[in-house]
Amino acid sequence: MQQPRKTASESTHSTPAFDTDDSNHTACTAESTTDLLTVEGLRVQFPSPDEPVRAVDGVSFGIADGEIVGLVGESGCGKSVTARSIIGLDPPEAAVRGSIELDGTDVTAASERQLRRLRGDTVSMVFQNSMETLNPVLDIGEQIAESTKVHDHPDSQRLLDYLHAPLFSSRADWHERREHAAELLDQVGIASPEERVDDYPHELSGGQIQRVAIALALASDPDLLIADEPTTAVDATTQAQLLDRFRHLNDTRGMALLLITHDLSVVAELCDRVVVMYAGQVVETGPAGRVLRDPSHPYTRALLNCLPQRVDRNERLPTIEGAVPDPTDDRSGCPFAPRCERATDDCRHGDVPTIDLGDGRGTATCYDVDDSRPAAPYNRPGITVTAGEDESDPTREPTTAAETPAAETPSSESTARSSTREKTRPESTADGDRQPLVELEGVTKRYATANGLIDRLFGATATRRAVADVDLEIRAGETLGLVGETGCGKTTLAELVTGLETPTAGEIRFGGDPVGGVESRSAETLADVGVVFQNPRSSLNPRLTVEQLVAEPLRSRGWSTGRRRERVRTVLDRVGLSEHRARSYPHELSGGQVQRVAIARAIAPDPTLIVLDEPVSALDVSVQARILNLLSELQAEFGLTYLLISHDLAVVEHVVDRVAVMSRGELVEIGPVDRVFDQPTHPYTKTLLASIPSLSPEETTGVRPSASDGVSSSLDRPTR
Amino acid sequence: MDDATYLLHRLGTSIIVLLGVSVVTYGLLFLTPGDPAEVILTQQLDRQPSASEVESFRATHGMDDPVPVQYVSWVTDVLRGDLGTSYYSDTAVSTLIVDALPLTIELAVASLLVALAIAIPTGVLSAVHRGSAIDYASQLGALVGVSMPNFWLGYLLILVFALTLGSLPVAGAGSYGQLVLPAITLGTGMAAVLTRLIRSSMLEVLDEAYVDTARSKGLRERIVLYKHALRNALVPVVTILGVQLGSLLNGAVVVEIVFQRPGLGMLLVDAVFERNYPVVQGITLVTAGIFVGTNVLVDLSYRYLDPRVELGGETV
Ligand code: SF4
Repeated sequence: MQQPRKTASESTHSTPAFDTDDSNHTACTAESTTDLLTVEGLRVQFPSPDEPVRAVDGVSFGIADGEIVGLVGESGCGKSVTARSIIGLDPPEAAVRGSIELDGTDVTAASERQLRRLRGDTVSMVFQNSMETLNPVLDIGEQIAESTKVHDHPDSQRLLDYLHAPLFSSRADWHERREHAAELLDQVGIASPEERVDDYPHELSGGQIQRVAIALALASDPDLLIADEPTTAVDATTQAQLLDRFRHLNDTRGMALLLITHDLSVVAELCDRVVVMYAGQVVETGPAGRVLRDPSHPYTRALLNCLPQRVDRNERLPTIEGAVPDPTDDRSGCPFAPRCERATDDCRHGDVPTIDLGDGRGTATCYDVDDSRPAAPYNRPGITVTAGEDESDPTREPTTAAETPAAETPSSESTARSSTREKTRPESTADGDRQPLVELEGVTKRYATANGLIDRLFGATATRRAVADVDLEIRAGETLGLVGETGCGKTTLAELVTGLETPTAGEIRFGGDPVGGVESRSAETLADVGVVFQNPRSSLNPRLTVEQLVAEPLRSRGWSTGRRRERVRTVLDRVGLSEHRARSYPHELSGGQVQRVAIARAIAPDPTLIVLDEPVSALDVSVQARILNLLSELQAEFGLTYLLISHDLAVVEHVVDRVAVMSRGELVEIGPVDRVFDQPTHPYTKTLLASIPSLSPEETTGVRPSASDGVSSSLDRPTR
Repeated sequence: MDDATYLLHRLGTSIIVLLGVSVVTYGLLFLTPGDPAEVILTQQLDRQPSASEVESFRATHGMDDPVPVQYVSWVTDVLRGDLGTSYYSDTAVSTLIVDALPLTIELAVASLLVALAIAIPTGVLSAVHRGSAIDYASQLGALVGVSMPNFWLGYLLILVFALTLGSLPVAGAGSYGQLVLPAITLGTGMAAVLTRLIRSSMLEVLDEAYVDTARSKGLRERIVLYKHALRNALVPVVTILGVQLGSLLNGAVVVEIVFQRPGLGMLLVDAVFERNYPVVQGITLVTAGIFVGTNVLVDLSYRYLDPRVELGGETV
């Protein structure tokens, strides 16, 4: 079953076939017979009380055998809906038009039987939020075994066989498949796979789950793998391994990949071609290198601008003003027009032409594609896009141009990473003078792991060390970054600082005074620390309004009603939430707005330290940029100290002053971010840094150090 | 909690429950108006008993002691395995119960099977075709099933199948044929409750991402529904099933009378009318024991259905 279905030589990495000369609307759907997938004029609408929701609005693109295509765009632009249509999983109420030709079969018109064959043989999908995509009551081995069984016998699936009813199902066959499942787990880098096949999803860590989800999709040896944000929820080292795995499968088995992501560095790392979507439409396509280096469509440019990698430290990140248009709106003209700096009257009416950029450079759906524009290296998009004539545009953030004088633009091909090196921060020299706000001395946290009756009877004291003997100081007014892979103890350390956990050994001091857990802390100490969690939607009570949520910490600290109301108004205004949002509930807000509420709640009691636990990892890049800007404004204005936990090293590099690297509960390295990122001393830090995908595709060699090489064998350790 | 601790814990609580049940029934019986000895003798002799006859009856059956003393001596006997003897015949209560119990268990199991056989496909279909004619029909059916009293359905079935069509035996016990109508009668109400539960539980599960994962593998819809979705949907259903066992036992009393099955229910009703207290108490105790026992089984079955459940604890 594992025999390569196609040889590597058949895979066509560069596909000039797509970039044909016809410049009609479906320029990128060349009628090439080698196409594995051809999507043409796909429209998906969902019924809603008033206007139908146009989730996908005329999308056309293709994927050739063995090609890796990235589908990018912000959330809500129709990427996932497109992907689900390809595998025939639209919800029953959706109206699907257009055609999706997959391996010669039109998915939109396929019979159940044809669909089963396609799914069991040709295409697989890794869904977003893999934790919820595995069946909680079936063990891992069973779920993978099913896939291989469907792949082998798509047309003879008997319920009783799959229910393992004696007489109706062959134990030997299932047993063999479980053994094969272990092999598949091994291939995606899961440690001791023979034991893991008997595990249930809840017994695995997030990173392991992601790997299992991929193994499950690969079990049917697909020609096309659709992966929806496969690395969004995992740490940098796991991400590097998974991307490596994809590349390997592409090389050896010629598997084509449709990678849906909002992370452009992943695209740069892996993809041959990119399809950029906005508001249900394809706005730009082309070879990954060209699109990232020299984007043609204003939206693509704006998206690239927002990346922290591309902007000097301590500078505001450019953002995209406005929001994705309401998908129920009647549309005419370019969907990006309301946010576009170059929009003209032409843009707002009729169909926008899809322009072929020529020379195999792809297409862009925009009036403004100026072929005479020099294809110069595009290093500082923050300036290039808005240079000159648009200075007075009211939709633009004035600070962007003001703070980034064009003279500073490096003209070399160097990435933002190296360019930031050139700028030394004045603060970093003064670091030594800063007073320590929080000091940790020999802090250790152990959790008991023995919980069985027998264990307790015999007094077994098995413990797990989450944080081991950490000495650390957080200096007043600085941003300290805390990095390390999942399960390294960074969250526990943050909980110790906030007082949610008490240390097993060691001492934590605030302004020189030792403090304990939440119960033993004084009201002032408590009010001194605010927390912003990773997933604000789940950390905020859905039954409270924005106003109530922000007022809650104040009430528990005994503020009077009048004072509370005053303060809530001030902080909501400060984080950029308008008055009328005060009475909204979290579910009525967008991801970015909810995060603003969480920030408002954290700063309301006027703390000095805020612990930011992955504050932007669930957000789109343009929203992420706005939140990061907001955080730095607040820091400057209120003299806040930040402890930032993040697995996104580009974000860390952009915002922190000093960075602390943790591995297996220990603090392995700490220092100014420039020094640590440029000259890491600890081998673990080196591995961690090597796993950052680079934004410039040219640098990709295809051989990168894997984090499992020697340094850490703890990657698959469950977090519990 | 590990298995041994869990079982010990459950055993402890069960004993307390059973003690409580016995105290309550004992108390209630002696609170009913009239001298039981007199009532029993009147029935037995078919005339007003003389004072000396009542006196000697009370003495032989230990009715002269104060009620708490009687209770204590009854409990001591029970602990020795002696449930007492019937006031009417000299048969031991335990013998009466052992004779009648299998018939009742047979009926309960058969009705449960009938209920599941109806409820699972109907509930699943109803959820899958939500808002369709099938869904409305099944919901209407469930409503009728829930509201129909057992005895009424029982007589209706007798009328149709036995008297009119002459195809099935009406009364008695022993053959499988005699089990069919009572099982349907008792199973229908339960099927109605379960159908609704399975429907709502399935509706929730069908929205889960793992159902789409299962479909994306290329599995047949039937396997997606009955393997991936149903197994998850049954978790909350099983909880209710444990509680429903009580009403199943209640229903069995009525159904046994309608169909003249000499099971536990009929024994109980006769004993209540005759004020045959030892029999009533024995049956109550045994039934309560069965109820507690099956609920332990239900708890244990959770872990099979949902690996995230820890015994005696919350879902992880
Ligand atoms: S068509 Fe016009 S509005 Fe749309 S992206 Fe191009 S320039 Fe902007």
